[in-house]
Amino acid sequence: MAGDSWIAFVSERLPELWLRTGEHLMLTGISTGMAILIGIPLGICAARIWWLRGPLIGVVGILQTIPSLAMLAILLALFQKIGATPAIIALTLYALLPIVRNTLTGLQGVSPAVLEAARGIGMTSRQRLWLVEIPLSMPMIVAGIRTAAVVSVGIATLSAFIGAGGLGQFINRGLALSNTDLILLGAIPAAVLALIVDGSIAASQWALRRKRSRGSRFRAAIDRTLRPVALALPVVLIVAGCFAYLSMGTSSSNPAWGPSAANRHTVRIGTKNFTEQLILGELMAQLIEAHTDLRVERRFNLGGTMICHSALKSGEIDLYPEYTGTALTAILKQFAIADPDRAHETVAREYRRRFSADWLRPFGFNNTYAITVRKSDAASRNLRTISDLMAISGTLRAGFTAEFSERPDGYPGLRRAYGLQFREVRDLDPGLMYQAIANREVDVICAFATDGRIAAFELQPLRDDLGFFPPYQAAPVIRTEVLETHPELRQVLDLLAAVLDDATMQRLNFEVDEKKHRPSDIARKFLEGRGLLEKEK
Amino acid sequence: MISLRHVSKSFDGGRHFAVDDVSFDVREGETLVLLGSSGCGKTTLLKLTNRLLEPTSGTIEVDGEDIAGQDPISLRRRIGYVFQGIGLFPHMTVAENVAMVPRLLGWPPPQRRERAHELLRIVGLDPKIYAGRFPEELSGGQQQRVGVGRALAADPAYLLMDEPFGALDALTRDTLQQELLALKERLKKTIIFVTHDIFEALALGDRIAILHAGRLEQIGTREEVLKKPATDFVRALFAKPAQQLAAYEGML
Repeated sequence: MAGDSWIAFVSERLPELWLRTGEHLMLTGISTGMAILIGIPLGICAARIWWLRGPLIGVVGILQTIPSLAMLAILLALFQKIGATPAIIALTLYALLPIVRNTLTGLQGVSPAVLEAARGIGMTSRQRLWLVEIPLSMPMIVAGIRTAAVVSVGIATLSAFIGAGGLGQFINRGLALSNTDLILLGAIPAAVLALIVDGSIAASQWALRRKRSRGSRFRAAIDRTLRPVALALPVVLIVAGCFAYLSMGTSSSNPAWGPSAANRHTVRIGTKNFTEQLILGELMAQLIEAHTDLRVERRFNLGGTMICHSALKSGEIDLYPEYTGTALTAILKQFAIADPDRAHETVAREYRRRFSADWLRPFGFNNTYAITVRKSDAASRNLRTISDLMAISGTLRAGFTAEFSERPDGYPGLRRAYGLQFREVRDLDPGLMYQAIANREVDVICAFATDGRIAAFELQPLRDDLGFFPPYQAAPVIRTEVLETHPELRQVLDLLAAVLDDATMQRLNFEVDEKKHRPSDIARKFLEGRGLLEKEK
Repeated sequence: MISLRHVSKSFDGGRHFAVDDVSFDVREGETLVLLGSSGCGKTTLLKLTNRLLEPTSGTIEVDGEDIAGQDPISLRRRIGYVFQGIGLFPHMTVAENVAMVPRLLGWPPPQRRERAHELLRIVGLDPKIYAGRFPEELSGGQQQRVGVGRALAADPAYLLMDEPFGALDALTRDTLQQELLALKERLKKTIIFVTHDIFEALALGDRIAILHAGRLEQIGTREEVLKKPATDFVRALFAKPAQQLAAYEGML
C-alpha cells in the first residue's frame, strides 16, 4: 500500500484505534492489577510456608503452560460468558507466575544478616515483612510486574476471539479478511503499547527508588519535578485508556464491553471470524437498523462455531448466522442429513427444544465444503469429481482448516467415503489456505463453496459425486426470548430469505476478500441495490 | 543484672551441646567479655540472652526475672544488640536505621529524629553529614558506629555485642575499641561482649569468661585469668600470644 493510502487507511480508523487501544489498556491494567493483588500475597505465603512453596509455584507454572486460546476456551466453557470477564481472568492467571515467582525470589534474597538484625532489635514478624522484607524485595517484585504487564499486553490481543475487544480485534478482522493492513493496525500499536507500559512501570520504579540524587542543584530540581510524574505514569496510562474507551465508545459503533447493552431495545448480533459471516452480520444489522427502532450491537468476529454457540446459549448475543450442516454435526452431534429442507427442519426443532433458539428462513446459498484443486491441475489430470482424486491422492498434499481435519463431516468422514490417502495433510488457517494452494505449497484444499477466492485464484471445486457433504444452508439463529419480545424481527430478517444464491454470496465475498472493500459497505450496496432498505409502504 | 543458671543448648536433640551447663552473673555496669574460638558457643549464649534462641535447659534472668516468661519482642527492645554482620537496613537512611527501635516503640517522628541525631553524635558521626546517607555510602567502621547507635537508641540498660569489630581493619578496630571504653564510662551500660580476639578481650573486659567447647572454663578479671588460669586450656590460651608478643618485640 502506498504511503498516502496507508495514512488515509489509518486516519479513517483512528477513532476505533483509540477505542481498541483503550480497551486493550483496560484489559491489561485490570488483569495486571488483580494479578498484583493476588500474586504478591501468594509469593509471601510461598516464602513463609515452606511446604506451600513447591505446590504453589507448580500450579501457577502449569497455568502458564496452558496455550492462550485453550485457556480462553476453557474459561468460556466454565463461565458460559463471552466478553471481558473470561478475558480478564485468563490474563490475570497468566500474569500470576512472574509476580509470584519474583516476590518469592525477592523475599528469599534478603540478606540473612539484615533479617537477624530485624529480629534481634525486636521487630515482630509482621514488622519484619513490611519494614524490611517487602521494601528490599521491591526491585525484584516490580521486575515481575513489568514482565507480567508486557505479557498481558501481548496475550490481550487474543481476547478479541471471545469478544473482549482490544487491539486484537483488528488482528482478528485482518486474519478473517486476509487483510495485512488491518493485522498491522492491531499488531503495531500492540507492540508499541507493550513498550510504553513497560517504560511507564520502569519510570515509576525509578521514582520510588530512595537514593539521594547527587549532582548539581539544577539536576536535583529536575529530579524533584519528574519524580511524581514518573510515579503516576502507569495510573495515568490506565486512566487515559478508560478515557479513550469512554469518549470513543459512544461515537464508534461497537465497543466490546462497557455499558451493558443487555436491555430490551438492543439486539446483539454475533458472527464467526470469516468474511461471509461478517457480511451476513452486516446485512442483518443494517436491515434491523433500517426497519425497526432497535439498537444493534455488533459483536462480530467471535473465534468459531463453539464460541458463537455458547454466547447464544448464555444470552451474550441474540442472533448469529449458522449453517444447517454445522449445527447438525458439530453442535447436535447427529448424522448429516442430505436433504436441505429436512436438515433445516431438524435443526429448527432441536434448537427450539434444547437451546430455546429459533432458526429463521435460510438466506438461500449452500456454503458447503468444496474439495478444490488448481484449475490447471484439473485440466491436465482430468479431475472433475472427488472420486477422480482416488487414484492419485497418494501424490497430493492437502491443506485443510483445523476444524475440517477434526469434524466428522470433514476429512475423517471424507477419507472413509472416498478412500482418500493424501501424501501429507497440513492444518492451515482459513485465510491462508487459498494463498497456499495458489503458491503450490499444497495441491488440494477444503474451500468454502461460496468463497470468492475460488474464482480469483483460478481454482476448481470438484463435484461431491458420492454426496458426502451435507447441505450447509446459512440462516439466522435467534434466541426465542428475543424473537418473542420483538416479533417484528422475523419479518425483517425474512427479507433476506432466499435472496442470496451461491453466485451472489461468492461475489460479495470476493468484493471483501480480494477488492478489500469493507463488509459494511458491501452489505449496504447490496441492500440498496435490492431496495431492501426502503421502508415498506 | 543478668544471671545464667545451668544453661545448656543443643541443636541436635541432645547428642551434642553448643552450650553445656553454663552459669554466671553479669554485674550491673560491667563489661563481661565472652572469649573463645569459633564454635565454642559464645554467640549462642548471646542469642539465648535475648531469646533469639531458646535454651534446652537452665534459666536466664534479667533484672531478677526469668526471661522464659517474657514477651521476646519487648525483651529484645529492652536489650541493645550489635550484630557481627552489622545488619543495617540498606533501604533506610542512617537516621532511620538508628531510630528504628524508637519507631517500633511508637515514638513520634520529631522525637525520633532528635534522638537519632543525638545518637549519631554519641557514636562520633556528624548528623549533618551522615543522617541522610544510606549505609552503602559508609565505610565499614562508620557502618558499625551506626550499628552501635541503633543498639543504644532506646537507652537500654544492657548491650549485647557479637564480635562487632571482627570485620574491621586493625586501626579502625583499635579506634572503635577506645571509643567504646569511653562510651561505657559515660553511659554506664552493662555489656556482654563476644570476641575471639584475646587482646580485644583484655582491652575491653572488666571480667573475661573463657569458653571452650560449650563449657565455661574460667570467669574472672584479667589479672585472675592471666595469673591464675583455672585450667590448662586457659593457660595455653594466654601463653600463645605472650610468646608471639615476645617474638615480635625481639624483631624490633
